[in-house]
Amino acid sequence: MTEPTSQPVAAVVAELLTKRYGSLTAIEDLSFTVAPGEIVGFLGPNGAGKSTTMKILAGTMAGTSGRATIWGESVSLNPAAAKSHLAYMPENNPLPDDLRVEEYLTLRAKLKNVESKNVQERVEKVMLDCDLIRRAKGRLIGHLSKGFRQRVGIADALLAQPKVIILDEPTIGLDPHQILGIRDLIRSLRGQMAVLISSHILHEVEQVCDKVVIINRGRLVAQGKTEDLRRELLPDSVFNLISNTPLAQLSEICLQIESAAKIEIQESLSGGWNRYRIVIPTQSPIRENLAAHLIKAGISLREIAEEHYGLEDIFLAATRRTTHDGLKN
Amino acid sequence: MRHFKTLLFHELRVVFYSWNTWATAGLFLTLMGTIYWFALLECSRSPQPWTPVEGTFKLFWLPLLCILPLLTMRSFSEERRAGTLSSLLTTPASIAAIVWAKFLSAWITWVVLWLGFIPFTILVNFRLGSVNEERLSDPTVLIGALSFIFMSGLLHVAIGILCSCLTRSSALAALLTFITLLGLTAAGGALESLPIESWTWLGWLREPAAHLRTFGHLQDFAAGVIDSRPLVLYVTGNLLCLGLAVLAVEGQE
Repeated sequence: MTEPTSQPVAAVVAELLTKRYGSLTAIEDLSFTVAPGEIVGFLGPNGAGKSTTMKILAGTMAGTSGRATIWGESVSLNPAAAKSHLAYMPENNPLPDDLRVEEYLTLRAKLKNVESKNVQERVEKVMLDCDLIRRAKGRLIGHLSKGFRQRVGIADALLAQPKVIILDEPTIGLDPHQILGIRDLIRSLRGQMAVLISSHILHEVEQVCDKVVIINRGRLVAQGKTEDLRRELLPDSVFNLISNTPLAQLSEICLQIESAAKIEIQESLSGGWNRYRIVIPTQSPIRENLAAHLIKAGISLREIAEEHYGLEDIFLAATRRTTHDGLKN
Repeated sequence: MRHFKTLLFHELRVVFYSWNTWATAGLFLTLMGTIYWFALLECSRSPQPWTPVEGTFKLFWLPLLCILPLLTMRSFSEERRAGTLSSLLTTPASIAAIVWAKFLSAWITWVVLWLGFIPFTILVNFRLGSVNEERLSDPTVLIGALSFIFMSGLLHVAIGILCSCLTRSSALAALLTFITLLGLTAAGGALESLPIESWTWLGWLREPAAHLRTFGHLQDFAAGVIDSRPLVLYVTGNLLCLGLAVLAVEGQE
């Protein structure tokens, strides 16, 4: 690999990227960055423009306008230098069926400027890391299962120890064991290389990524750490509680504790007990000890729990927001 | 250069491990053997102004139109269809290196196929050694005709590579190559048959017609006449086609 003279501030920069196919706009003014060593999840509904963006960053498709750089090198102006820092695994991971795994990886290592004396060592290392060495090393790629093909794709991406790895749906079609293996592998790259990963499995992204970038209809709708996005997109905290206190009394007490609180009955249970839903601002000081406040006010509680907002909720909130904006416009 | 070498060896390996190549080689040798057999028969029946080798190479357009498209059709179209070309383009290897590697491997295959014709002549000489016919064992015609095939192959194979860049369908690539080669081979003869001398307004065609006389080039080479004009035509045509192929790959990705 070409050794960079200095580490850039951002490993990947997408600046106002736009891609149009005639009258159809695939992505528009898309800007985000990936820091060196950071793992970033790239999310969006089907057709949002994820693969298009990744192809532009990988240099396999030209953007209509905007700027993309990989490790400080312009993808369009200096493609060879940009590609020398990059490994890209496209969606569906196309591989030549008529080559054996080891032959393919050896070829790719040579094409990726791995020094001749290190080729064999690197090939062995990535096959070991991706668990290919025992069962797939000498097999024709065309005879491999989907899971092994994905591993070959990831092994290829890791071959030249690039500064940036772009993985488009790396776990698509894998079984849970394989997903776990790939997830651990990607996690092990943290701090060593910048990874931009697109996936539909939000739980997986949440487990692995430091940051997420969410796009919808070709536009950026949110980016940042999951916790920050949670605060931004889901400003309210929701508590589910089971109590035998009547709704009117509970509402009165809640409003005394937090004036912005909203309460509704969700379900009537046997023996006069009800399931309530209380919504309070996440920033509210009582959020941390709502249960204590309610008990102190004489409310009998059988159960209280705060709803956990996962990445799925953040994703839905972000994409719903833009969809509504789009409809309004 | 390093990438080119790597890619060339890879392409050659792919070509010679592919059943498609061996099937094509079988077809080629059957075709050439049959033509040579009929040329020998014809010469044995009555004296001919041409040798069996000359007679065989006069029909060079048959393998050119039927076999060469089969060799080049998959080079880019198959990789584009399978998506492996995109994957290849993410490496630091340049498009020019990829195009040249694919061209050279196809050209080498084309050359090797034609070299496969030599054993036929050796076999015939061995079997008919008692026949007192000097022209039968004269290697000059064979060397000259093969030189023409190799030289013109620079352009013909490059056309096949260019056509393969233009489509994802191997069949369509083969058809495009067939039509282009047919046009190119027939163009010289067609232009020559036009009454250019009497139609003064067609005078400007005289020069291109002189350049494109493919069968004339074969005769010149077989007779040992090395004219620089066909050499320039085939080399520049090759560079033009491969340059266009690079642009075609660049444009599609």
